[in-house]
Amino acid sequence: MFPFFDLIAGTLAFFLTLMILSYLIGDNPLFKIAVYLFVGVASGYAAAVVFWQVLYPKLFQPTAVILQSGDYARGGLLVAPWLGFAFILMKISPRLAGIARITMAFLVGVGAAVTVAGALTGTILPQANATINFFDQDYAAARNIGAFEALGNGAILLAGAVASLAYFHFGARQKTDGSTRRFGSVELLAWVGRVFIGVTLGAIFAGVYAAALTALIERVSYLVNFVQSLLALF
Amino acid sequence: MRVLTAIIAIAVGILILLGYFLPQAAVVQVVLLDWAIVLAGTAALIGVFNLVAVHAEKIRRKEKNGVYSAILIIGLFASFLFGLVLKPQSDFMQFVVLEGVIIPVEASLMALLAVSLLYAAVRLLRRRADVMSVFFVLAASLIFLGSVTLPFGDIPLIGTLIRPWVSQILALGGARGILIGVALGALTTGLRVLFGVDRPYGGR
Repeated sequence: MFPFFDLIAGTLAFFLTLMILSYLIGDNPLFKIAVYLFVGVASGYAAAVVFWQVLYPKLFQPTAVILQSGDYARGGLLVAPWLGFAFILMKISPRLAGIARITMAFLVGVGAAVTVAGALTGTILPQANATINFFDQDYAAARNIGAFEALGNGAILLAGAVASLAYFHFGARQKTDGSTRRFGSVELLAWVGRVFIGVTLGAIFAGVYAAALTALIERVSYLVNFVQSLLALF
Repeated sequence: MRVLTAIIAIAVGILILLGYFLPQAAVVQVVLLDWAIVLAGTAALIGVFNLVAVHAEKIRRKEKNGVYSAILIIGLFASFLFGLVLKPQSDFMQFVVLEGVIIPVEASLMALLAVSLLYAAVRLLRRRADVMSVFFVLAASLIFLGSVTLPFGDIPLIGTLIRPWVSQILALGGARGILIGVALGALTTGLRVLFGVDRPYGGR
């Protein structure tokens, strides 16, 4: 069974790779077919994953167990998700879509709370702590970094973080001639911030470009290998 | 309805936030998050349904690119039905759908980026040669030259000293500022929703 699936997958992958890479000579119907097929297949796959890994184990299966056992008292916790499920399905009908707002409000409330907690405990505090750690002499000694070097690096890193934040500060005061301008110190910090943000985006660009180049080499090598293995059959 | 939705959003948000601070509220937090996962999954299915509806409408109206919409719908129904019947972890879904369609197309689109990114970088320098773009290209070139294996060997200093310093100190400083800025923005947006100032669920 596996070699048969392997052959189908390999052939599909070969033609789809060619169709996508044909975009290098310009937008064309082959590229569009591959992209539309990809969006359709990926959406269908995602929907199947949602059914089997979320809805079935968390909603349908527990409900079926309760219905079979007749122990309806245990089903109390399933009433709310079933109601939410029914309300959100109303979105399909434009006339009843307003009822889905109740479920959307629930989801937005959960999302907002998780975002607040996540931003605070997952980003702001760890990033601030990591910046402070650069000034920690014991931490520097453990990494075989001299005190002077650690202080210098820490100062540059702190300056980069503060200046980059200042770049996104758009508070300004109005001058007598009606024009608005940022405070001088903020303007200066923002200029330094532009340098740091430019370097950061450049570093990210280099990483993404290296990954894209690796993908290109891998795809071309896949095409060559596929043709070679086909030729070897004859 | 406006008041009810606002009360639901604020109450649920506060109960979940309390779960982070009070161990007694953690049980309620877990239940609410479980419900949210189910509802988010249902919302994703509604999204897929909307995708089908939009493309079915294009086919019905016999629009110019209707044939592509038909391909999308056929692909969607085929993978969804096979996924429902065989389950996503089955050999057919793993080999044919994942390794035959999804992964090769994603990898090929990523490969296209190698060309389009280079083109975009050249255009950036042509159109906007300011401080940020000069440092952008400089940093990208330094890191790239320090990372790649060249036929004549490594360039002295760049790979061993300059590239690590640029990526681990200079770029890290900027990245930290951007990350903290994004987190502060997310925090403010979340708080605005929890205080009822913003009601993206359709209250105001």
